[in-house]
Amino acid sequence: MTEPVNTAPILQVRDLRKSYDEGRIEALRGVDLAIEAGDFVSISGPSGSGKSTLLQLLGGLDSPTHGEVLYRGARLGTAIDLDAYRSQKVGFIFQAFHLMPTLRVLENVQVPMLALSPSPQRRAERAAALLIEMGLQHRLRQYPSELSAGERQRVAIARALANEPEMLLADEPTGNLDSENSARIMEILTGIQKVRGMTLIVVTHENEIAHSASHQIHIRDGRIRA
Amino acid sequence: MASQLSYAGFAWKNLWRRRLRTLLTLGGIAMAIGAFVALVGFSRAFEHEWLRMYEGAGTDLAVVEKSFLNTSLDESVGAKLRALPVVAEARPMIFNLMDLTPEVNALVFGWQADSYELNSIKLASGRRFRDGQPEILLGDILAENLKKSAGDTLEIQGTPFTVVGIYHGGSALEAGAVIMPLDQLQQLSALQGKVAAFHVRLRPAPAGEAQEQYIKRAQAQIEAALPGLHAVPAAERAANNQLVVLAHAVAWGTSSIALIVGILGIVNTMAMSVFERTREIGILRALGWKSGRIMLLIEIEAATLGLIGGLLGIGVGWGSLRLLSTMPQTASIVSASVSPLHLLEALGIAILAGLLAGLIPAWRGAHLSPVEALRHD
Repeated sequence: MTEPVNTAPILQVRDLRKSYDEGRIEALRGVDLAIEAGDFVSISGPSGSGKSTLLQLLGGLDSPTHGEVLYRGARLGTAIDLDAYRSQKVGFIFQAFHLMPTLRVLENVQVPMLALSPSPQRRAERAAALLIEMGLQHRLRQYPSELSAGERQRVAIARALANEPEMLLADEPTGNLDSENSARIMEILTGIQKVRGMTLIVVTHENEIAHSASHQIHIRDGRIRA
Repeated sequence: MASQLSYAGFAWKNLWRRRLRTLLTLGGIAMAIGAFVALVGFSRAFEHEWLRMYEGAGTDLAVVEKSFLNTSLDESVGAKLRALPVVAEARPMIFNLMDLTPEVNALVFGWQADSYELNSIKLASGRRFRDGQPEILLGDILAENLKKSAGDTLEIQGTPFTVVGIYHGGSALEAGAVIMPLDQLQQLSALQGKVAAFHVRLRPAPAGEAQEQYIKRAQAQIEAALPGLHAVPAAERAANNQLVVLAHAVAWGTSSIALIVGILGIVNTMAMSVFERTREIGILRALGWKSGRIMLLIEIEAATLGLIGGLLGIGVGWGSLRLLSTMPQTASIVSASVSPLHLLEALGIAILAGLLAGLIPAWRGAHLSPVEALRHD
């Protein structure tokens, strides 16, 4: 007897609402969407439209005020532990890179693996392999402050891949980069999505990036617009 | 292979980021543990030396009225004590802590010239003193500090005494002490006819009776014969005499205050560190670190402060004891020996202090919302 195949979308959102300041600020006002595994999805919209809030809820960084986020049909926060979800299923990439300033590049990439992989040597080897894949083999022992912005974002991508997640969630990954580095980072991200079959969700305000996605979500005033 | 990341390595890098603050915190905990090692070590060594003094002389019981320092015990009690069948010898004694020079003070014991307690000391030079004469014996450590030898004169509280002999003491207390005739010390202290205690040697226990049981029976017999007096076993007397109790109280009191200050230092450091790293903690949460793992990291940092501070403190405390044991003012009552157990205890206290101090900052850091933490400037 074969195991039943889970045909549910990798992520599904139902009537998602998020408000702050005791309901006075409504960041999301009822969002429904489904994302299939392996998709490249862009989320775009003006500042304050709720796109980063949506990404945070999809990534399990926050809990909705109303509605639900389902990972392969299972509800985040109840059926699935958020910490485990973030460490094993999702890799985050931030606009400000958010690398640990006291750690060397190689050590930064090992941070997500610290609890999951018991072998220090295996952690270091995997981190080195990812950094080499990002073209940073000459930067392993440097500190983030010694790297260019583009290099820092490549370290962040390597860190996001450390635990072999199914999805990469990037919040304005090119927001702090010049056009040349932006193009390179997007090339790396889309390359990873294609080669590894990963789901890539990118929040961006750049039309070019938004339009390059296979599935585009435009959000305004907390609602998805067609 | 390139560097491997561990929790301990991560914790140390976090601490080392603010070197000055970390060093100042380490200094605080080192001083606290140093005070503990030196003061508690001293008070325990002090107690141990009392015990050695009793054991060296073969004293089984001390007969006292309420407390050791009460010198209101009448000397005539000795005859009644000696008449008891269990008592082999009962010798009156008196002691005092006196200034010998402006820099040097020492314990002064008053014993009878034929007391059995004199048998436990070995004369290095000279002879024993005689009752009724202004003669004294000096312990070898004290003689060296005072630069006195047999035949010299030492003035004690305005009365000249002839140093008739120098002895090797069985304990550091004796080696740093003056022993003079009981009557001379009574006269010097204006306590004629009064003694601090009678030191008692019991006859051998009857065959078939355990020594512990025998001592209990002797205690009961003495206390029944001499109502109002207490017969206390030597070990208990060494631990509970007022000088030792006072030394313990001062040592623990001072050390506790120093430890509280040290703990507050770690709390401050860790609270500041967690506040400054709020965003980094948010990143760790975003990377899937559970609350418990973040608590673990912060607690490792706090315990590391305790461990390193503790090791430094052991060095400070031990060094202080060694220094005090060589200074003329304190050499007679301070022993430089510290038991390994005491050092382990100090290290344990230091690590525990670190863990306790890190608890609230760790709890706070671990329960930050990832989104709120990432927004923190």
